[in-house]
Amino acid sequence: MAKYYDVDDILAEEELVPAVFQHTANGIGLFDSSDDTNKVEAGSKVELPFWLVCELYLRQLVSIRVPPCFDKESKTREEIGADAAHVDLRSRCPYFYELGCKIAPLIGDKTIGPFLLVAFRIRYKEVLIKAHTLTLAVAPKYLTLLTNEEAKLYEAGQSSIAAFKKWRMGGPRLQIAPLLGRKRKPTG
Amino acid sequence: MAASSDSQASAFSAAELEFLAEDEMIEIVPNMRMDPLNFVSGDFGPFRPQIATQVPLWLAVALKRRGKCMIRPPEWMSVEKLAQVLEAERDSEKFQPLPFHYVEISRLLFDHAREDIPDVYMVRSLIEDIKDVRFHKIGTGLEIISKERTYALRLKNLSAMEANIVRPFVTRALETFYKLSGPEMIQESDHLSNRQPQATNRGPRRQLKDR
Repeated sequence: MAKYYDVDDILAEEELVPAVFQHTANGIGLFDSSDDTNKVEAGSKVELPFWLVCELYLRQLVSIRVPPCFDKESKTREEIGADAAHVDLRSRCPYFYELGCKIAPLIGDKTIGPFLLVAFRIRYKEVLIKAHTLTLAVAPKYLTLLTNEEAKLYEAGQSSIAAFKKWRMGGPRLQIAPLLGRKRKPTG
Repeated sequence: MAASSDSQASAFSAAELEFLAEDEMIEIVPNMRMDPLNFVSGDFGPFRPQIATQVPLWLAVALKRRGKCMIRPPEWMSVEKLAQVLEAERDSEKFQPLPFHYVEISRLLFDHAREDIPDVYMVRSLIEDIKDVRFHKIGTGLEIISKERTYALRLKNLSAMEANIVRPFVTRALETFYKLSGPEMIQESDHLSNRQPQATNRGPRRQLKDR
């Protein structure tokens, strides 16, 4: 709970994770609305937010299936391996790294950690270059590929450069208070 | 991560850096007579016509704007010195030693004391070039963060403005790398071919273009 006040941390836990119910559960038909019995059969697959899955998993009520973006056989892994910089991670999981960090220790998949690191390493380089070179007009298109974390990184780089450029162009300098201006004409 | 939602909060703004740079000392040649000024930061003066004296940059600029003095550009702001620095900057991987606030000082002097700088156009374009070369170096230098495990960067001779520009980006990136390569994320398993074997310690400190 170290990040109790971090909105992004909360939002990351909202991401849906596929899970399989181990037992039949009554009264939660809204998860599996195939019939009117208002219950979930054992073995049915549902997508639940991570925070719920996490608690249920610890009580051994559900088993977690690896979300598609981290799965070993998934397309995402192959694409990251092929050209990580241009994979549209945002549409797959806007909290790719955060969710990965949370889910990996839970399900004990040791390949997720290295996979995330490799993905971020390659994408970091791209973000670095783009943040320093891209003009604002082209940026929105690129931003749609980035996860939340990367977009923030990009903005951090971009905005500091932009602020510096603005300062150098000589934006508004210190202004003289009108009171002083009346008293004496500024020299030179 | 917790405090990083406001990425700009840790950084100075360019104008704030300019303010800090105004405390640097500079030599002026007054053309008026005035008693020493006693400030909290020290005593400056006395001011005698044609006798050079050291004052903070903000005082120099204030006097200059009233036409009370001539500013002597600092030693490093001569064409020869700058040409040397530019040469060395291009040749070597390292950052050349320049005043910590060279970007801000040069800007202030160009704004307020153009006529006191010999070869002002030359000086100006040299400083621009130096700055561009150094920024490019920083950009290429930051790419090495991604190659190996990196937990700290050592940036020798980096100026205030340069450090300030890369600070939000670098701290964020290092944070994420740290998080992703923490012990609970990376165990002894090495399934992916493009990773080097891990040492058990926290890895070396990476040097970014240094010494």
